[in-house]
Amino acid sequence: MRFRQKVRELSTFQFALLLTLPVFIFLIAVIIYPLGYAVWASFHRIIFFGGYRTSFVGFENYSAVLKSPAFWHSLRVSLRFTAESVVLTLLIGLGIALALARSFPGKGVIRSLAILPWAFSRYGVGITFKYLWRGHAGLPTALAYLFGMETRVSVLNHQTVIEGLAIGNAWNLAPLVAFFLLANMETIPSRLYDLAEIDHLGPFGKFFYVTLPYLRYTLFVFTVIVAVLSLKVFDYIFVQTGGGPGVASATLTYQIYKESFQHLNLGYGAAMSFYLLGVILAIAFTLYGVWGRKEL
Amino acid sequence: MAKKSIVTWIAVILVLLWTLVPLYWFAKMAFQTPAEISVFPPHLYPHQPTISGFFNVLGYPYTSRSGEVFIAAGQAGQVKMGLLNSLILASIVTCITTVVVVPLAYTFARLEFQHKNKLLFAILLSVALPPISIMIPFYILFVKIELAGTLLGLVLVTLTITIPFVAWMLLGFFRNLPPVERLARIDGFSRFGAFVKIVIPMAKVGIAVGAIISFLFAWNEYTFAQILVNGTPATTIPASISGFLFQHPEPEHLAASIIFSLIPPFIVAYLLQKHIAKMNIVEPLG
Amino acid sequence: MYMKKASMLIVMVACLFLISGGQVFGVPESFEGEGLAPETNESVYFRGWQYRTHIVNDNVNRYNTELNGNVDYATITGDYPSIMETQFIAKAPLDILYGNPSQACRYYDGGWILPAESLPNIEKIKADMYPHIRDAWTYKGKLLGLSYFVTTRGVLHVNLQKLSEAGLAEAELPATWDDLYDQLYRIRDKGIKYPFLPHWFAEWYGISWAFFFETLNRGGRVADPETHKPLVTVDGPAGDTLRAWKKVWNDGLIPEEVLSYLEPDFLEAWGSGEYVYSPQQMYDFKKFNEPRYSRFAGYCSPVPYRGQSWGLIDSAVYLMSNRPRGKDHTRDVMAFASWYGYRDHEGELFVGQRWIEDSMLFTAYKEIMENPDVQAMMKKFFARPQDYETALEVYANTPYPKGVFNVVWAPEFNSWIKETLQKFLMEDKPVDETINAIGDKINELNSLYGVS
Repeated sequence: MRFRQKVRELSTFQFALLLTLPVFIFLIAVIIYPLGYAVWASFHRIIFFGGYRTSFVGFENYSAVLKSPAFWHSLRVSLRFTAESVVLTLLIGLGIALALARSFPGKGVIRSLAILPWAFSRYGVGITFKYLWRGHAGLPTALAYLFGMETRVSVLNHQTVIEGLAIGNAWNLAPLVAFFLLANMETIPSRLYDLAEIDHLGPFGKFFYVTLPYLRYTLFVFTVIVAVLSLKVFDYIFVQTGGGPGVASATLTYQIYKESFQHLNLGYGAAMSFYLLGVILAIAFTLYGVWGRKEL
Repeated sequence: MAKKSIVTWIAVILVLLWTLVPLYWFAKMAFQTPAEISVFPPHLYPHQPTISGFFNVLGYPYTSRSGEVFIAAGQAGQVKMGLLNSLILASIVTCITTVVVVPLAYTFARLEFQHKNKLLFAILLSVALPPISIMIPFYILFVKIELAGTLLGLVLVTLTITIPFVAWMLLGFFRNLPPVERLARIDGFSRFGAFVKIVIPMAKVGIAVGAIISFLFAWNEYTFAQILVNGTPATTIPASISGFLFQHPEPEHLAASIIFSLIPPFIVAYLLQKHIAKMNIVEPLG
Repeated sequence: MYMKKASMLIVMVACLFLISGGQVFGVPESFEGEGLAPETNESVYFRGWQYRTHIVNDNVNRYNTELNGNVDYATITGDYPSIMETQFIAKAPLDILYGNPSQACRYYDGGWILPAESLPNIEKIKADMYPHIRDAWTYKGKLLGLSYFVTTRGVLHVNLQKLSEAGLAEAELPATWDDLYDQLYRIRDKGIKYPFLPHWFAEWYGISWAFFFETLNRGGRVADPETHKPLVTVDGPAGDTLRAWKKVWNDGLIPEEVLSYLEPDFLEAWGSGEYVYSPQQMYDFKKFNEPRYSRFAGYCSPVPYRGQSWGLIDSAVYLMSNRPRGKDHTRDVMAFASWYGYRDHEGELFVGQRWIEDSMLFTAYKEIMENPDVQAMMKKFFARPQDYETALEVYANTPYPKGVFNVVWAPEFNSWIKETLQKFLMEDKPVDETINAIGDKINELNSLYGVS
């Protein structure tokens, strides 16, 4: 009884804090050193060869990034890839959820199959789609020959490589969206659907007026999540195209990898990372401002 | 009624096609030799299927009916270790994440308090950082505190990914539950008691989904694993399978390993998705 | 009195000598027989890349069982050089690793490796090596590592089946790069749309090295071997290479997706048997004549040396790291390095021998390459016995681009020139602009790193 009394006296905010503070402390503790090092590195020039030495260079790294045409090109590639991934993932995720919400025999097995794409690591999805899209040994070529057109079809050419990558990304992430939407749909009281029947609403009406309102918030959350994941991704793209052909699929993360890891140009790479972080946060905040605020 | 079920069937078949075609295209390679995989134009199905890849990848040589011997893959030891470690990692991460995230998501979804939105975004910020940017200092830190190459280190890193993501994902779910706390309080439950005794059973579905997602996040985490546990006894399956394609590529071994790596998540998803069932939400007012 | 002191001194010295096994006075460690066994219980961490790892595992097991070793071997997957550099920076447990000569030079300049020069038996090792390879692996006067493999990368493979399908006879095999490019048009007229699979794939050793070897084969150089100053000119072999590339690319003889291939895709594409010619690795003649990996097994042969060299020398060495260790621990590391990279405790070049038997990896050691049994065995790896002599002649004449390999900026230059060359092709940039950019970049890197 005494404990219950005590708990009831906590303000809502304090209760929230009690539950969430340990999580914050943990997250900060793990991230703070690498983040701090990255900040420090971005203001220095770090040299490993001929004796390790560092020198303070102020904003030189930051301005060098802005002057580099490779940075702007990669930014465009990243944004295009992200936009296409978000649209595809959410539409397909919604489609899968609507399909699996019905009842049919084998529902359990089919639902478990539907989530399998999410079980592939980023490397695994990259490899799968590389073999799928390649002109030499891919599915479109096989189908072309099946239908008598003797031509090599490669989706990984410089015009459509980003679209091919976005489809693979959507394949990987759509089950994630679908399952959460599915869980959301199960909480919609069936009473509302009965009311919609009485109002003579067809299937589209039911979807827009009954189902969608319950899903809107989740759709917003996943738009942000898919956007963030797509902007952050590296291995999936690297293993599928290596940034190619040429630099057609060289995203910002690829540039950061090249500068930080391969060239050990840590200061410059760190500065570029903070630009990328800025882009990610800007997109997340914009989405929140335009959409999420209405929902929260 | 008949019209309705045709739509259902078409929808389900489309979902299966979308999901399984890329999977099939890759899985069929597990049954082929490298020569057949490279053939042009590509075969739509294996012409001379062999299951040697599955044995080789687990460390056993295989002799086909025609007497051809396929030697075990050198990576087999690391593949087996990877499967075991991934199971351990995913299980631990799932348990911790679920226990931590359910109260967290509930608090943010159901309760109103100042600074709520700011705190929410602070959580999202932690996952906005691209791993590539912090990989080198991360690794230096982990080597210094001797967590590099250990499962504990990887658990900690994976939690920094799963907790924020799953928390955000469950937010939407908790928001949609009917407002039963008021009534529970009237009935004499404390805030905590209301949470435990009323809300959690109703949120079973969301918790099940959160657990599946955490498990899979941990199962397929590659970026950090590649640096932290690559080539160590703590290697996980994504890191250990990334070595089959190099100067002596064995794509059939890669395909076989990936097929093996899909089995535990499938089982977990199957067991947990049963909880995603239509529930009859009883109206609070009877 | 002095006699007594002197004799005591002598006895003390003798004891010290006996106890230390001769090390006190710098008597060379006997790195042979049982002397190759470890003296401490410290682990020797050996991290290799993903190539025939069942053989590496086996070799390491032999050392551990027969000599009571503590070698911990694991395969590192992914971008091996970058991961190794990360481990060096973090001072992670790493003692023995692989490296190409350019990586070895870079690691040496980073202060991360202990050159093989430090091994007590190094003079014996050097005497057993071919001088030109020893020279390739020497940087700033020190031999950096021990022989893992040597090969020609860029030797022209020809698919004899496809060749006859194109109506060509073996006597018509090209003698120079220009001959080859001219021939491609004739082959296309016979109905084979893509006759050539160039070495233009998207790894850092793909299209970049294709440019290096073709320039070298044509008689030019990319950079000076000693000063590393650029030697590319618009009218010289480098310019000729780019002009030839532009022509075949713009005439549609090369499938675009080659530019996005990684090495496994490149190997698979050749193994499919769809192309007539491709510059590949020397050791893969074995692979492409095996039915498991190749659809034209038994028909993959080298294009002979007829005055113009083909390809460049690709090689790797075993390196020892320089991380803080006890003196005895370092001695154990050196002992294992010597066992693995030179002779085992039975005096045989065990590991090198095994590589050549299993994968046809050539080695720097004369004894193996000139062993008649080894030669007889290698003949069987080829499609036809005479191919072995053809291949050896190509190998003997293969150049090594010391100017762009044995320098600290090699990896950065490799990735920069990869992007530049791909842009040259895909955006149809002019030859002189590209050549000048290459020269400027080399000068920039030289001044950035303070190279001579």
